[in-house]
Amino acid sequence: MKTIAVIFGGRSAEHDVSIITAHIPVMQSLHAAGGFDVWPVYITKVGDWYADKAMNDFAFFKQSNYEDILKRKRKVRFLFDNGLKFIWPGLLESKIKIDIVFPAMHGTYGEDGSLMGLLRMAKVPFVGCDMAASAVAMDKAFTKQVLQAEGVPVVPFVWCTKSDWSTSIFLEKSAKLKYPLFVKPVHLGSSIGITKVKRQSELENAIEVAFHYDNKVLVEEGVENLIEVTLPITGNDEPELASVERPLNKTGFFDFKDKYLSGGKGSGVNSEYSEIPAKIGDELTKQVRELGRKTYKALGCSGIARVDFLIDSATNKIFVNEVNTLPGSLYHHNWRKSGISSVELVIKLVKLAEERFEDEQNLIHTFSSSILQKVGGPKAQ
Amino acid sequence: MKDLLSRYHPRYVRSLVYMMQASEYRVRDFLRWFWRVRDFLHVEQRKELFMTSKSLLCLAVGYGFLFILYALAIAVLVWGIAWWQYPVFLLIILTSPFILVCVVSVFLIIVNFLQQPIEYVIIRQVGQKLAGHRGLKIAIAGSFGKTSMREILKAVLGIGRKVAAPPESYNTPLGISRFVRTLKGDEDVLIFELGEYYPGDVRRLCRLIRPDIGVITGVNEAHLERFKDIERTRKTIFELADFLHEKPLSPCIASEKGGNGMNTGATFGVKVYINGENATARKYTRARDVLYSRAGTGDWRVEDAKTDLNGSSFILRSDSRTIRAHSALLGLHHVGPLAVAADVASRLGLPTGQIEDGIVKTKPFDHRLEPKTNAQGVTILDDSYNGNPDGVRAVIEFLSSLKGARRWYVTPGLVEMGKKKEEVHKEIGRELSRAGIEKVILIRNSVTPFIERGLQEGKYCGEVMWFSKALGAFAALPNFTVKGDVVLLQNDWPDQYA
Repeated sequence: MKTIAVIFGGRSAEHDVSIITAHIPVMQSLHAAGGFDVWPVYITKVGDWYADKAMNDFAFFKQSNYEDILKRKRKVRFLFDNGLKFIWPGLLESKIKIDIVFPAMHGTYGEDGSLMGLLRMAKVPFVGCDMAASAVAMDKAFTKQVLQAEGVPVVPFVWCTKSDWSTSIFLEKSAKLKYPLFVKPVHLGSSIGITKVKRQSELENAIEVAFHYDNKVLVEEGVENLIEVTLPITGNDEPELASVERPLNKTGFFDFKDKYLSGGKGSGVNSEYSEIPAKIGDELTKQVRELGRKTYKALGCSGIARVDFLIDSATNKIFVNEVNTLPGSLYHHNWRKSGISSVELVIKLVKLAEERFEDEQNLIHTFSSSILQKVGGPKAQ
Repeated sequence: MKDLLSRYHPRYVRSLVYMMQASEYRVRDFLRWFWRVRDFLHVEQRKELFMTSKSLLCLAVGYGFLFILYALAIAVLVWGIAWWQYPVFLLIILTSPFILVCVVSVFLIIVNFLQQPIEYVIIRQVGQKLAGHRGLKIAIAGSFGKTSMREILKAVLGIGRKVAAPPESYNTPLGISRFVRTLKGDEDVLIFELGEYYPGDVRRLCRLIRPDIGVITGVNEAHLERFKDIERTRKTIFELADFLHEKPLSPCIASEKGGNGMNTGATFGVKVYINGENATARKYTRARDVLYSRAGTGDWRVEDAKTDLNGSSFILRSDSRTIRAHSALLGLHHVGPLAVAADVASRLGLPTGQIEDGIVKTKPFDHRLEPKTNAQGVTILDDSYNGNPDGVRAVIEFLSSLKGARRWYVTPGLVEMGKKKEEVHKEIGRELSRAGIEKVILIRNSVTPFIERGLQEGKYCGEVMWFSKALGAFAALPNFTVKGDVVLLQNDWPDQYA
């Protein structure tokens, strides 16, 4: 039996979404599959780490006082001693070795590569994209810059950091863009802090809103006659594509409520707000799939990701909008409609993680040198 | 240890009362369940204790007695002076859960005994009311399929006649009496299910109802644990046929809906409809009895019968009439009961169009091969109230007819199969194997290993998955299924057996 740690929560605006993803479908599927000793690892909003099997049940987080309950438990500590070990210190210290980690964190400190860096240091296989792809995909501006360089179409955009923020200069840069514009905090997902701006007078306010969430802001052109579609992908070297999905949102663009709160009764997230497969015609579907595959490879994604697209239905122009390295609830609703059950999906992701880890172990990371002996010695002529 | 301590938890009394209520206050069934239970904190899994005056009285007696018992134990501890005060205290405390069960059982026997004269009066009054009722009384007996037959008759006859039937599973003298008291007297047709728990039950109900015609849906191993042998089950169910054959043929009421019960003077012509697809029942057909099956009933022949996830369709043809039947009911095993309903309707004078409309109105009943397609495109066939071998066979046959879908069969097996337990469950395994069902989910208990053995004997090629609890399997299923899958939930054990 493999011991698997599912890490979720964290210091992120998408903290609660992460709790949902960790349970539905990740932990539920791992339990259903059997063969796993599942350890839920919850990071509180202030950054405390707890590992307790009581959190396997989603009902735990439905208790209004779950944070108080956790405070009475021992926090978990880690040992990076040729692998990852959990330690609960105290008089009756207990310790377990973790065979694999399933990060189920969205947003900052989880999906942005931070956690992946930690897990690389710990020398433990982990599910999903590696550190570099996660860090780039987390930054919407970086993503567009990389994709632009790889010849993947993106909408015209400008960006700015909080320290560089100067109304006049940035407004001047933005003046080259065609309204309506979208103002986005570059590091946040789940559409948090995004504002649609229809005229210049609204722009400054929208940027200030975005700066409440992030230190870096992206302003980009909106697409006319917009059709939004998204494409979940899994795989390492050979990506496997799910169905192209079209959100049936009412507000003009995906917002947090559409994505996570508009699911049907008892259906978890994402069940009734989208059309799968998207009825956009065979040609557009084909192009979306090709661009999705190209984007996935260009960013160096592995394990799982989701590529979002904007389509101008009048010109049939397709733009890659962003890449999400941990789709909410793994977009299991889409995979299920594409013939992959949640259990199959989760098992596949675990396998992909192990394969990537094995490849990584075959690389040479250290070599012998005499440089230390030479320090302070005579300089070579 | 945890299980043992659950007997000392404050919830223990509530659990006992819940078990009594779920056993319909039958002391024998309650005590059987009591000896099976290990953890008394989690007996209310599928249902909860429903607060009635009887259950509240039992709660009061339970908690009251426990209080007295503990007070006595403390009194012994405080005021006892001899050496035995500590062992006696411990003895009272340790045996209190068992003393309590004895006390509530005796209390229940007394209550049931005291209720008898009251029940006798109620039943007598109801019997008199029914004797004076002008409607055609149809009684349904059998080990399985009674509720389906009741609902089919209700839907088909209800299109042209005023029909009444007890709700849910009101099939005991008291349950039926409760229903009869609600009747206005202007109903054209009354339909009753006859519950058979012990020999003589059906006869007693027949004396109360005085049915005009009967339907015997079949005899099988359901409740074999109580009846001990199938012949005793058969005799109990056929008490309906015995009753009807002892009286003359009933007049056929041909009044229009809401009319005054104009009697044509003609007789109904049939005493009992017997399910011809059930070998045991078929053997006991007598004169004036009519067999029914998917081939037809009486003068009606079934042609071109088809079924899929959208429902069933067939043509009913007699020498003079043709009925084109479309029903949302799934499975060809419903064709026979639908033909019975059409025959009764025809004998009651309903025109062809009305009979067709009535059949269109039949739809799957709650938890009986009830299809539900979820947002992910997975079709769930909820057959959780079907727990008998004939029903299982029919449903596997239906599942095998579905092509192009991955099929899941989820079951904890059947209960109360008595000495036929092994044989019945092995046969289920063999049938699943023959039907080529792709995935079988079994719940760990005393009977499912026999299903697994049947699967092995049938050289099953699909995948078998095991779960320790049915509720766990139901919760996990969405993680296994994909669009287009068909999942059959076959029988859900009530808390008594779970």
